[in-house]
Amino acid sequence: MTVLGGIDRRLLQNVDWPLLGAMLGLVILSATTLASLHVGRTGGSVALRQLAWFALGLLALIIVVSIDYRRLVRLAPMFYILGLAGLAAVFVVGRTVSGARRWILIGPMSVQPSEIFKICFVLMATWVLTSRWAQPVGKVTVALTVPVLAVPALLIVKQPDLGTALLLFPVLAALLVGAGIRLRLLGGLALAGLAALPLVWFAALRDYQRERILVFLDPFRDPLGSAYNVIQAKIAIGSGQLLGKGVAGATQSRLAFLPERHTDFIFAVFAETWGFVGCLVLLTCYALLLLRGFDIAASTREPVGRLVALGVTALFATQVLVNVGMVVGLLPVVGVPLPLMSYGGTSMLVSLTALGLLLSVRMRQFQ
Amino acid sequence: MNLNLRRGLPTRRDPGQKRIIGMSALVTGALMVIVCQLWYLQVLEGGRFQEASDKNRIRIRPIAAPRGILFDRNGAPLVDNRPAFTLSLIPREMERDPLRRDATLGRLAALIRIPYQELRDAIAKTSPDSFLPVRIRRNLSMEEMQKVEEWKLELPGVIIEVEPQRVYPNSRFAAHLLGYVREASDDQLKQGRYRRGDMVGQSGLERLLDEFLRGKDGGERIEVDAMGRPMRLIQSTEPNPGAQVVTTIDRRIQEAAEKAMEGHAGAVVVMDPRNGDVLAMVSTPAFQIDRFTGSIDREWWLKIMKDPEFPLLNRTIQSQYAPGSIFKIVVAAAGLQEKTLTPADRTYCNGEFQLGTSTFRDWKREGHGTVDTLDAMRHSCNVFFYQAGLKIGGAAITKYASAFGFGQPTGIDLGTEKFGLVPQPRARGRRGAPAFQAGDIINMSIGQGRLLVTPMQVARFMAAVANGGVLWKPRLVQRIERPERGVVWSDSGTVTGHVVLNPAVWAFLRQSLWAVVNDEGTGRGARIPGLDIAGKTGTAQTIANSRSDRGQDHAWFASFAPVKDPEVVVVVLVERGGKGGQIAAPIARKILNAIFFEKVAAAEILG
Repeated sequence: MTVLGGIDRRLLQNVDWPLLGAMLGLVILSATTLASLHVGRTGGSVALRQLAWFALGLLALIIVVSIDYRRLVRLAPMFYILGLAGLAAVFVVGRTVSGARRWILIGPMSVQPSEIFKICFVLMATWVLTSRWAQPVGKVTVALTVPVLAVPALLIVKQPDLGTALLLFPVLAALLVGAGIRLRLLGGLALAGLAALPLVWFAALRDYQRERILVFLDPFRDPLGSAYNVIQAKIAIGSGQLLGKGVAGATQSRLAFLPERHTDFIFAVFAETWGFVGCLVLLTCYALLLLRGFDIAASTREPVGRLVALGVTALFATQVLVNVGMVVGLLPVVGVPLPLMSYGGTSMLVSLTALGLLLSVRMRQFQ
Repeated sequence: MNLNLRRGLPTRRDPGQKRIIGMSALVTGALMVIVCQLWYLQVLEGGRFQEASDKNRIRIRPIAAPRGILFDRNGAPLVDNRPAFTLSLIPREMERDPLRRDATLGRLAALIRIPYQELRDAIAKTSPDSFLPVRIRRNLSMEEMQKVEEWKLELPGVIIEVEPQRVYPNSRFAAHLLGYVREASDDQLKQGRYRRGDMVGQSGLERLLDEFLRGKDGGERIEVDAMGRPMRLIQSTEPNPGAQVVTTIDRRIQEAAEKAMEGHAGAVVVMDPRNGDVLAMVSTPAFQIDRFTGSIDREWWLKIMKDPEFPLLNRTIQSQYAPGSIFKIVVAAAGLQEKTLTPADRTYCNGEFQLGTSTFRDWKREGHGTVDTLDAMRHSCNVFFYQAGLKIGGAAITKYASAFGFGQPTGIDLGTEKFGLVPQPRARGRRGAPAFQAGDIINMSIGQGRLLVTPMQVARFMAAVANGGVLWKPRLVQRIERPERGVVWSDSGTVTGHVVLNPAVWAFLRQSLWAVVNDEGTGRGARIPGLDIAGKTGTAQTIANSRSDRGQDHAWFASFAPVKDPEVVVVVLVERGGKGGQIAAPIARKILNAIFFEKVAAAEILG
């Protein structure tokens, strides 16, 4: 195979097995959880489709691993522009599901360009931060990143998909920190962002988004309307207690009290089924994955590789924390899937591609 | 290692690595916060959420227990149940958006003409999270039910339930006796014995026996999914129907008495003198008992409450009247027993009686001529009884009145009974011992003055005259049976007193009362050839004579038959009916005819 031919033996010695182990563990937990849900008419088909996407994702992972990430970063502007084109295409040929245009049909598959764009963004941000115009890292660097972030963020917010748009901010922040920006400057930016919040509240947010935040502050504001998800998720998680109800006893999930139970709220299903102990296992998998990611970033001397690893890890960390934080009621509801767990083809493909980048950096660390 | 790494970063010497470690610490910290939240939700609060989860998935669907049935003495039902359609709202299944919900309510209001505000109020009383149906209107017509079913898709959260409901032989049948059944009022809910929507007996036997009649609601515990679709039956409890009550009422007699009273305001009591059984109990005008069942509209309720005829009043026990000439039986009994009067006493009646400066008139202007005691009873001669009363004395008359049960409750199991009044001697002056004044005695001798009785007291008294002095407590309920446990309560009748009179006195009373009806007496209007009826008319003067159109006297007729071995006592009172002999006696005749001859006719047909 020509693709694998690009990987020499030395690279294979540096494969990060704990990272791959954590990934595999999470995918298995995802498939079993989905299989227990009986979404739709054909019982376990969601789980099988998730596994099929996983297989496809593995292929993508291997391809990414076999290519030097520096080559990919060099091509970042092209990916970025393609990504933007995809985001724009949503408005033209996008499929509307429950009020949001997020999907494009490509043959039999529906693809979510905003998911794919996450990787393009990490690569592009790395490209900008490591370009010679960005040196030394300072105000000019920040100014360079502003359009890189702002253009896609606006396009994504318009879909509307607030969650994905918000994800880009912490990822960029992590990359700036990793690139060596002065913390005082970053703090200033954060303050400016906070000051702009009221503006965002009135100008950018839609009614249902505002409602979600109000509901987060006071869940019993509207127990059957917008707070329904939050309350039902809390009931599902809490009633799992220490050891969980098991697959048969997880009534909140099985009887469909929990909305979005196979996608954004899958953590609640897992928590109801396997209890606190199960949650510890799941979170340990994520912790392992994230800590490996940070370790790879920290131990990479080459700046492009470090930023790619950091960007990918920050992307994962933000998604995990925001999703779980939202499901357990620590954060307002935003539509962010739980990577590797939530059902969704594009998300699975993108997650594995991202992990491919991480592995690629790791394997070429000591070159 | 560390040094190597630092040297390996060409652009800047340090901070990158430390910063990345810092970030990983931040992420780890955030994960720890999530673990703490999970510990709180799952371990500390887990039990509470478990309950919430059960509440989510388990619905309790109540199944109303049919109310017990009331039977007459021959096993014919006085009231029955039939399935009725009830319109209910399930708050949890209504539109969540207030505007769209109000639109649904508006549509419903227009569809079956319920005030919109009433619907809003009903919903406002309950939590929007509740799955328990809120009853809006019971007893929908077929047409209304079909309309709602047709519009079902436009009316989310609106359902029609089938519940057992009371049904009566006719609209006003035995209304006061049976009483009406309605949803527990707010006050009753406060007592804590009922739940909202429970049907509770509000008057009459339905209220008295509510505990027995009510039964125990059953229910189903169902596991449902988020859409409320039933998935699995977890547990089911059959409703326990209410107990069956066998009353002493004879439906045939009750119906006959109600028919005989049509168009009159008043009361009828039919009693068995051998055991105190109440065979019929009629108070007119009656309210429409079927309109009181279930939900009642305010306007109609107010109309009933303001009706000058007081249709809610049970005149057999809750209204007091002067007994009029019926009381002459007591006066005669007192005199004959105390030997202050003999059957042979004679008086010349010229139509008036002079006492001091006052003149007391007879009802017959020209007088009755020379009358003996029996004639005085027969023609109800007042002048004779004025003189007899003065001879007998107030103390003796009130003693016998009390012995016959006047002035005391009959003890009938319906509650809110009036006691009547037997006058006591009045103290005149500061030192004078209480004594009856002659004028008071004269009034009392013909059943006027301060004397007050209820039709039920008169029936008990007439029964004692018929059976030789036994005062029975009027019995309404023979026994209460539960389908699986047999008789749970029974009443074999209670004797509350005896009146001891010389047998000759009893014989004289019966003979004179027979003569009232059968020998050209005042009660001849009740005469039925072939049946020996004994009776006494009474005409109670009313004080409010000022209103010319309604200023007539109350008409009484108290009777029993057959004279030998009496089987029934029939007491008729017609408010402002006029003379007892002209108005009340013919009504009693119709009732007696129905009791003795229509029964025979029926038996003949059967034979």
